[in-house]
Amino acid sequence: MIEEDLRAALCEVMDPETGINLVDLGLIYDAHRTGEGAVSVTMTLTTPACPAGGTMIDGVERRLLRIDGVRTVDVELTFDPPWTPDAITQAGRAALGWA
Amino acid sequence: MNAGLATRYAPSFRLIAAHFGLGVLGLLAASAALVWRTSALEGHYFQPALLGLVHLCVLGWLVPIAVGALHQLVPVVFEVPVRSERVAWAALALYVPGAVGLIGHMFMFATGWGLVGSAGLLLAALWLYIANLLVTLARAERVTLTGAYVIAALVWLAIASALGFALAWNLHAPFLYVDHLRWLRGHAHAAGLGFFVLLVMGVAYRLLEMFLLSHVTATRPGQVALAAINVATATLLVAFVFGGDPALVIAGVAAAAVGVAAFLVQIRRLWRARMRRRADTAWHHTAASFGYLGIAAAAGGAGALAPLPAAWRERVALGYGFLVFGGFLTSVVVGQLYKILPFLVWFHRFSPYVGLKQVPAASELLPAAPQRAQCWLMHAGIAALAIGIAAATGPLRVAGAALFCASSALVARNLWTIYRRQP
Repeated sequence: MIEEDLRAALCEVMDPETGINLVDLGLIYDAHRTGEGAVSVTMTLTTPACPAGGTMIDGVERRLLRIDGVRTVDVELTFDPPWTPDAITQAGRAALGWA
Repeated sequence: MNAGLATRYAPSFRLIAAHFGLGVLGLLAASAALVWRTSALEGHYFQPALLGLVHLCVLGWLVPIAVGALHQLVPVVFEVPVRSERVAWAALALYVPGAVGLIGHMFMFATGWGLVGSAGLLLAALWLYIANLLVTLARAERVTLTGAYVIAALVWLAIASALGFALAWNLHAPFLYVDHLRWLRGHAHAAGLGFFVLLVMGVAYRLLEMFLLSHVTATRPGQVALAAINVATATLLVAFVFGGDPALVIAGVAAAAVGVAAFLVQIRRLWRARMRRRADTAWHHTAASFGYLGIAAAAGGAGALAPLPAAWRERVALGYGFLVFGGFLTSVVVGQLYKILPFLVWFHRFSPYVGLKQVPAASELLPAAPQRAQCWLMHAGIAALAIGIAAATGPLRVAGAALFCASSALVARNLWTIYRRQP
């Protein structure tokens, strides 16, 4: 589940190679508030050795901390389940040149 | 916060940028020299201007880029830091005077101690690079298919550079009991087939997977290609250096053909499984390079096995060498530079701002139009040069060299534009 305002913010964090945001790439599994000012994100990468992985995690934290009222962000990286192309949204598919 | 993620193992950007900068200067110098000495692309391959041109292309352009890319790729892919950046810098300090000296002596065909000393510096530099990278790889927890290719390529580079040093010494004070040209063919194949082809193949699986967003778990064709190219290089080296037995040459050519075919099968699988459907300029360069590799393999086989008249044998040998170094290797390196350099610049300069403000994607650091223009110029130049060599047509070779030179200037301009981008 991704809360709407968090989704909107995460749509501003891009994968540097494709230029597609992390939500449309299907990398964000979950993003919700866990308490006052605390946000928890569960995300993945297209591959465990993704060279931009650290940058994307840092970007998620920095962007969410800019939301009014958010004071802490906990990002959990998981590969269970592993990312598959099925997770890409229609907008992401269009950006990748899929019909 | 990012423990376990690969980029933390990357070496300093200055180390990679220094090698890439040197390589681009080498490309410009080699392209200018090609225009200056286009006449070297006819007749027998053992002539000073051609030896100078080939070594300028290889030592000035291809090796610095390959070494720079290896110092970035090995730590990131295998999650181990480079054993010693100081050793890499020391190797570069030996490499530059060694390469400049060797290339200059080749052009002048000056076979004195200056040639031997330059070759010695180069040998020391390359072995330092190789030892540093092999020790780095030895610390990796898991060696993948790409790692196996890189290790094999580095071993062949060590052999090729040792053979090169022996050849330089033999020009100064002959001591080899077999024909110098046979050793030269062995040296060229250890470097071209053993080092460069294996390196490009191994790295291509990894980089294309990343850049095409393609996941292929079945790597049997890649394993076959690794074995076949190693067998081909070893067989051809033995055949050339120890007697030129036709049966060994046939076996070597057959193994090389199997290797190239298996590699192309693996690449086709990656291409078909790609999630990124739009082909960009980097891919056009890469795809063209694989086409040149296939044609070069056919030309090499024909040159080695077909009963050709002497004049045609010379043209085929020149065309084969040009397609390997000027076609296949140059195209694939330019294509991958258009991917690697933007990513490095983006990572070091733009990534700290992700999440804080709008930053461009790595692919947006350079507009598509100048990349496309450079791509067209370069492949028109390569085609004109290849046809000019095959047909022994001087004006076509000159036109091709001019186009190639113009495209090299655009490569430098495009890469410089990317390098200077700031947030």
